[in-house]
Amino acid sequence: MTPVATAQTLLDEKTEPVSIAPALICIQDVLVEYGQPGKPPKRILNGVSLDIQPGEFISIVGQTGCGKSTLLRLVLAEEMPTRGQVLVEGSPRRQPDRRCGYVPQKYSLFPDRTVLENITFGLEVTEVGVFGGFSPARRKLRREFQSEAIGYLRRMGLRESDASKYPHQLSGGMQQRVAIAQALIMRPKILLMDEAFSALDPGTRSGMQRLIKDLWRETGTTILFVTHNPREAVILATRVIALGRTGGDDEGANIVLDLSVPDTNDELKIASFIQRVEQTTFPGSGAESDEVTGAPEA
Amino acid sequence: MSVLQIHAHPSRTTVWILSWFLFATGIVSYFSVSRDRHRENPDDRVMPTLRQMGQGFVDAALKPADDEAAANASQQSLVARVRNGMLWKDTMATGRRFLISMALLFPAVLLGLHMGMFPYVGSFFQRFVLFFDKIVALSLLPILFIAFGIDELAKVMLIVVGVAPTIILDAFNLTRSVPKEQIVKGFTLGAADFSITYRIVLKQIWPRVLNSIRLNLKSVMLFLFAGEMIASTDGLAYRIALLRRHMGMDTIIPYVLWVALLLFLVDFGMRTLNRKLHPWFQEA
Repeated sequence: MTPVATAQTLLDEKTEPVSIAPALICIQDVLVEYGQPGKPPKRILNGVSLDIQPGEFISIVGQTGCGKSTLLRLVLAEEMPTRGQVLVEGSPRRQPDRRCGYVPQKYSLFPDRTVLENITFGLEVTEVGVFGGFSPARRKLRREFQSEAIGYLRRMGLRESDASKYPHQLSGGMQQRVAIAQALIMRPKILLMDEAFSALDPGTRSGMQRLIKDLWRETGTTILFVTHNPREAVILATRVIALGRTGGDDEGANIVLDLSVPDTNDELKIASFIQRVEQTTFPGSGAESDEVTGAPEA
Repeated sequence: MSVLQIHAHPSRTTVWILSWFLFATGIVSYFSVSRDRHRENPDDRVMPTLRQMGQGFVDAALKPADDEAAANASQQSLVARVRNGMLWKDTMATGRRFLISMALLFPAVLLGLHMGMFPYVGSFFQRFVLFFDKIVALSLLPILFIAFGIDELAKVMLIVVGVAPTIILDAFNLTRSVPKEQIVKGFTLGAADFSITYRIVLKQIWPRVLNSIRLNLKSVMLFLFAGEMIASTDGLAYRIALLRRHMGMDTIIPYVLWVALLLFLVDFGMRTLNRKLHPWFQEA
């Protein structure tokens, strides 16, 4: 499987003299099946191919159960495709690593650590090692981590007094802010957000949308944002990928829409994009009106 | 009747009275029966009076446990007499075995953790531990005595064989119930396998593990007492078994209450410690 795919890549490079920037994430003809012994396998994704360039803000939309999160887990390397391959910076991976930051919808923070400890965890675990640090040099390093973490905390709109709180003492929105800080402090190449704002109430949610868009502009991190809300997908991303089933229920989902979204303030234009995404993602049904969220101020 | 209603709101005084009612009834009826029996037969040994039990307890606390201590008992201070007393020595002997068993349960926690984290370790041990869990530990007692002799090792092994499988499986299940997100998050933050195992998962399940050990304290004590009653020359259960031969109810009852008190204190201590050490822990 791998040699063929590699040959394919080589072939592509040769036949296309026009040099395009190498894709940061390269998903090649991926098929995912979940099998239980004794039952026919359930096909989730079928023949998905996608190239993602550095610096893109991509949102993945689709109905519940169409494989959005599966696609994200493939990029994360938490899951392996049944067929095809997923390359990040040109190489396949066997398990999640530092290149991807991860902000899930739930359980995004370590409940046993304070806010500050949560944010510095990544730095400590990579720099200080398993047995902690008690030497003066280590203590100094740890203080540097803490002041860096405080900086991130402020940037996320949290107060310094929140630093010593435990996650269960924070609201859902604050928890997600800390989770984003925790991921960003490691300077990941890719930030993966799996329905990260879906559990938040509309007011908090639009604030978070504004924050993530600003952070994306500042850091230039590539963001993959999974959501089931077409509006959120359009107002955040530079490119919207919609997943849907084209064949029967057992055929698995594929990309049904790949839409570039211009950075615009024009409400009418945004509305027309949202409508397009809605029509492809939820054909037949009306717009999802249960979630009303404000557009970010561009 | 409004008593059997789910939405009943008993007042605080009522709750207080109700919760102590059975204690009061038990104590009152014991002593009234005891008094009646003693009126009929002043030498009754089955239901000693409060004073007899008090005397029995003081005797147990102060009476020297062996002849050597008895020889120079008269010129010793009260503290020294207590420390040479039966009760103190028995408590120390039982406490030592208890602590050794608890220390041996720690590797059981680690085994469960690794079984839950690493699929190879899990598939290597899981079936065997499940099988072992179903063996009635007390039925192994003769085998243990034959294999390890009748000294300390056999008794400690009985406790370990009896309780360790439960602890292993508990730790295993707790490990498995840590959300996948936490482990993935650990990897994306640059942690390696063992950092995730110890610094994320073990740390998170630790209060629950302590809880599960706390709930298994009774089994620990059960196996400990079984071992002591059958083959021992000291310890609280040895004493209770010994006093049974003399119908020494005046000492047996205080001993039983003393054991209950000790167990309660250990339980309370562990609970408090757990709360103090893990302020983040939210009891589900």
